[in-house]
Amino acid sequence: MNRDEIMELAAGYALGSLERADRVRFEALLEAGDPAAVAGLREFQSTVVAVAEDVREAPSADVRRALMARIAAEGGDAERVMRPAPAAVTALRTARSSRIWPVIWAGAMAAGLAAIAVGLGVSASYERRIAELSREAGALREELGRQQSVVAILRDPATQVVGLAGQSASPEARARMLWHATAGGIFVAAGLPPAPPGKAYQLWAIAGQNPPVSAGVFTVDARGTGSLHVPPLPGIARVDVFAVTLEPAGGLPAPSGAMYLVGKA
Amino acid sequence: MSEPRASVPAADLLARIARGDHEAFREFYDAYASLAFGLIRRILRDREAAEEVLQEVFWQIWCDAAAFDPRRGGPEAWLVMRAKTRAIDKLRSIRRREQTFVASVDEGAAPGADPRADDPAVAAADRTLVEGALARLPDPQRRVIELAFFGGLTQSEIAARLREPIGTVKTRARLGLERLRGILADREPTAR
Repeated sequence: MNRDEIMELAAGYALGSLERADRVRFEALLEAGDPAAVAGLREFQSTVVAVAEDVREAPSADVRRALMARIAAEGGDAERVMRPAPAAVTALRTARSSRIWPVIWAGAMAAGLAAIAVGLGVSASYERRIAELSREAGALREELGRQQSVVAILRDPATQVVGLAGQSASPEARARMLWHATAGGIFVAAGLPPAPPGKAYQLWAIAGQNPPVSAGVFTVDARGTGSLHVPPLPGIARVDVFAVTLEPAGGLPAPSGAMYLVGKA
Repeated sequence: MSEPRASVPAADLLARIARGDHEAFREFYDAYASLAFGLIRRILRDREAAEEVLQEVFWQIWCDAAAFDPRRGGPEAWLVMRAKTRAIDKLRSIRRREQTFVASVDEGAAPGADPRADDPAVAAADRTLVEGALARLPDPQRRVIELAFFGGLTQSEIAARLREPIGTVKTRARLGLERLRGILADREPTAR
């Protein structure tokens, strides 16, 4: 492999875009300590990091708080468990200068402590991994449940499809509601302008002459697309009109802002 | 290019994190969360989703810091690649979830709209990513780097997308990164 090829692999590796076969080849070069591969990777990775540096942005303090709380709650045992080992080793070293029995006892205790510490350390590490896998399984189950309810709604002939049209605030907007009186609905909107800071879109269900009932709050991405999984609305057997207004971010009990979308069932 | 902001080298912090050291983790987070977050935000755009991914990235680091292998690059690059991969995964899952319904809503509307607009790679290429040094690259090199880095495509996927031979894509990635390095080195004295 010539230098150009190695540098091309290094560039692809630094960008995370190598095919599997190329990645394996390049990692073999790295593990063999190939100087061109090591230098090329160092050079390109520092460039990639610099590109990320270019767009540095501070997250909100909530993320840090949530993360530290999660660690304190779920992963905080390892530190306390691992620490006795060095102390035990020190105890063993000190004991060597005194009489033989204390040495033997200290040795036995240190070995015992070290074994316990290692065992607990390994156990803590497995517990963290198990907690993590269990969380992932939970998230997948949740996602599967959502998908199954979507499929159930789509399959049921009683599901209504309601088209919503943009109003003067956003004539380009459009949306569709797949509504089932007992299973709830799936609402998808496109072409809405991004909600201003502190605001969100709120979906309303109107039955006859009754006041509108909130069916949930949603935001849209930069392309103006947003979606909402609507639970069944208690006490409402049939919805006549769905509408979307712009409201304060948490939503309101009754509509107050401009209407962006409306559609009759 | 700015330097890592931790007072202790990042590799040492990762070694301590692997032993369950909370203080090292806090220091690592404070030094590098904004590095990872800026990148995740550029990929996902939605702040809430980006913060969710950021938390997952650092949680993974807490659980798996021992997996850091210095033979495969520096700790900052390790973090950046993890952040990028997680953000792309999240973007794809959001798109998959929305695709069925968004596609039906879009039917007949928005004439001339790009049918691949739900693809993260298209989004990556179309959004305003051309900030800073990247903006100064020639378009063909910039596109390859953006599709790889912000769009999560492999080199053969980029070749298919751009209808270019894979050899051209590989060369552009290398030339683009070399050029970027020169651009970044030129502006070093005024960097943060």
